[in-house]
Amino acid sequence: MSEVKLKRETNVLDVVEVENRIKELCQQLPHGITDQVIQNDMPHLEPQQRAMVINKLLSLGQLDLLRNSSGLLYRMKDTQGAGKMKGSDNQEKLVYQVIEDAGNKGIWSRDIRFKSNLPLTEVNKILKNLESKKLIKAVKSVAASKKKVYMLYNLQPDRSVTGGAWYSDQDFESEFVEVLNQQCFKFLQSKAEAAIDSKQSPMVQRNSSFATSHEVWKYICELGISKVDLSMDDIETILNTLIYDGKVEMSVIAAKEGTAGSVDGQMKLYRGVNAVIQPTGLVRTPCGLCPVFEDCHDGGEISPSHCVYMAEWLDF
Amino acid sequence: MTAQEVRLCGLLLREHFGEVVEKVGTHLLRGGAQNLRIIIHETGVPLDLVKKSLCVLVQHGACVFSSGRKGAGSPTEYRTSCDRILRILRYPRYIYTTKTLYGDTGELIIEELLQRGHMTMSSTVKTVADRLTQNMEEGLCMDYGEVSNAFSKLVETHFLQRSTPATPGTPAAPVSTAPPSPESFPDCYKVPHMTLVGRGKRQLCSEDGEDQRNAKRAKMDSQAHGDEGICWQVNFERFHLHFRDQAIISAVANKLDQTSSEIVRTMLRMSEVTTSPTATCTKPLSANEIFRSLPPSYNIARPIVDQYLTLLVDDPMEFVGKAGESGGGMYVVNLHRALANLARATLESVVQERFGSRSARIFRLLLRKRHLEQKQVEDFAMIPAKEAKDMLYTLLAQNLVQLQEIPKTPDFAPSRTFYLYTVNQLPTARMLLQNCYKTVANLIERRLFESRENKRLLEKSQRIEAILASLQASGAEPEQLTEVEEMITATEKQQLEALRLHINKLDSAENQVDESIFLLESYINSTASTS
Repeated sequence: MSEVKLKRETNVLDVVEVENRIKELCQQLPHGITDQVIQNDMPHLEPQQRAMVINKLLSLGQLDLLRNSSGLLYRMKDTQGAGKMKGSDNQEKLVYQVIEDAGNKGIWSRDIRFKSNLPLTEVNKILKNLESKKLIKAVKSVAASKKKVYMLYNLQPDRSVTGGAWYSDQDFESEFVEVLNQQCFKFLQSKAEAAIDSKQSPMVQRNSSFATSHEVWKYICELGISKVDLSMDDIETILNTLIYDGKVEMSVIAAKEGTAGSVDGQMKLYRGVNAVIQPTGLVRTPCGLCPVFEDCHDGGEISPSHCVYMAEWLDF
Repeated sequence: MTAQEVRLCGLLLREHFGEVVEKVGTHLLRGGAQNLRIIIHETGVPLDLVKKSLCVLVQHGACVFSSGRKGAGSPTEYRTSCDRILRILRYPRYIYTTKTLYGDTGELIIEELLQRGHMTMSSTVKTVADRLTQNMEEGLCMDYGEVSNAFSKLVETHFLQRSTPATPGTPAAPVSTAPPSPESFPDCYKVPHMTLVGRGKRQLCSEDGEDQRNAKRAKMDSQAHGDEGICWQVNFERFHLHFRDQAIISAVANKLDQTSSEIVRTMLRMSEVTTSPTATCTKPLSANEIFRSLPPSYNIARPIVDQYLTLLVDDPMEFVGKAGESGGGMYVVNLHRALANLARATLESVVQERFGSRSARIFRLLLRKRHLEQKQVEDFAMIPAKEAKDMLYTLLAQNLVQLQEIPKTPDFAPSRTFYLYTVNQLPTARMLLQNCYKTVANLIERRLFESRENKRLLEKSQRIEAILASLQASGAEPEQLTEVEEMITATEKQQLEALRLHINKLDSAENQVDESIFLLESYINSTASTS
């Protein structure tokens, strides 16, 4: 009997000792310790006991269980984090962990359900709970307006969720883009005109009519029409839309590393251009712009002889 | 031979040659090669009228005949094609071009030849001299020699060519699918030796009696001038090359500046006769040659010319390309690429005017990037998602933009398929060309309708003019003239004025649409011949 009692006492003592030992090991190796490490340290420890101790520490919230390619890892948990979660139960901790792992981009409620294997009602209850505790927040995604992604309260949402500089409150700011468009174009056009007026040799004229994307970016920043800070990439997207409008052309040159605005040894140059042809002959007639062009036949309801658009155009 | 082309050809034939020719012509266009009996049977037009219509069409080169398909001995078959008839739309442009290049004499020569189809040199010279003399002051006459000079110049620059000599007896001719082109004959551009001395005769007064006597005299005046049987016709291809060069030069002037366009004009002028019509680019010219051939009024230094050439080569539109380094740099004009760029600009301008500049942005974006998903279109064009979707669907409905499906799974399930938007330049150009034909046909219809509506008014004004003219000729008093003039009321005068404006507007619109037609046709033909 006493032997059994003794064994139990040694067990109890052992457990506390083992716990402390494991905690020390965790602190020594902050990246995490594997089963192997614990075994090496305490070779006399049986696997069952070890598992019991580890489970106890996990449930107390002092140890973090992670998995990597070679097996399971145990890591010391942040006591502060542990303090936060004192009032919550395991399920909430699990959901919180899943959301934390999603980091910047946030995670959708359905994905939380998959990862935590909890039923939908439970997940919703937990999410509401966590939100009221101000531990997580919901951010509306700009891609799908009905979708809400959850992320930690103090994190800044990623660009892909909010849309970046062109979106304010999930609304695409088209007037802002238009204004920027026009300003950039005016800047490039005035530069081109100045170059033509300078009446120098044609090569110099053309080169001076170019502006690098860096110059345009500086000009726009100095203009101060933007409440949001714009990066050079943003300005380049605006300049690309000008290219698609046919008002600007771009060329790339090799630039020395270190000159302002060079990216990977290249610089993009933009230049205002004129249209190649005048609006073509077809669109100067009403037929070229007619919305019912397909339905027009002689002798039909809509025919050239009785066309209202033509009558208006002829009397113009 | 689409429906629109046939409709337009019918309208043009009716305006220029009358309803009978229109009937026969459209029947031939729709039916392909047919022999005389079938034509008579199916159009219901009497034999002699059909024969005359066919003569008119052959005279103008619109119809060709060959022995029947079943071999020699079967009745001859007649065939028309749309191209030649659609050229009628461009006659004003040809005449105007000749006027700018060769003055009034050249203009009248081309006008005569276009009206008659083909004529011998001597008859052309005589007619033109007479017409010029009509308009000159009293006592001056147009010398035949001057007109002949102008004619020879036109032949030298290949604007006129000899028509295919008629082969004696068609059964002996080989059964070939295409009649030999005038260019296949070596004497195509040789001016015959002609004995034609004299001056233009002025018609002194327009009394009917005089006319009859003059007509009789013209018939008896058929002396031999040494060029019988050699008929001349207008070389449309040469005019088209000229128009194409003009389009390229004006595009360069718009995009770059005047001096660059002068350089390109010099390059094109130098390669006028050395480049074949279907070439994709001119023969390489060295910078030295270009510099020497620049017009002397532009005294630009040699290094500046080199700089301009380098700038032309660097331009993204690729009008000029560099073909080598010998002789200070060998340069070519990229004809095919320039035409493709001009056609692309035409398409973009149509989209812009019809649907707005944002749709034009999407269209240009798709032309550049070839295939894009809907999300990517919205991102690149910086247009809000809802509006971008709307515009894309409108363009898709008008068939200016096509959808390409790329499935992830073999069952093409919509949620598992990529849908990419794309623009194909060549089919879109063809579609727009058909739209242009329809537009011109609409404009002609409207013009005819307006004239028909106001026929009574027009006839009245014509009668009054005739009365006025006769009164003036017979020396009437001013009161009689004013009395006659007052027969037209003020409102009628206004109506007449408005009618005149309308018809002028419709006419000029036809010419403008013809410019678009020319660009699109040249692009399509150039692509078809290079591929």
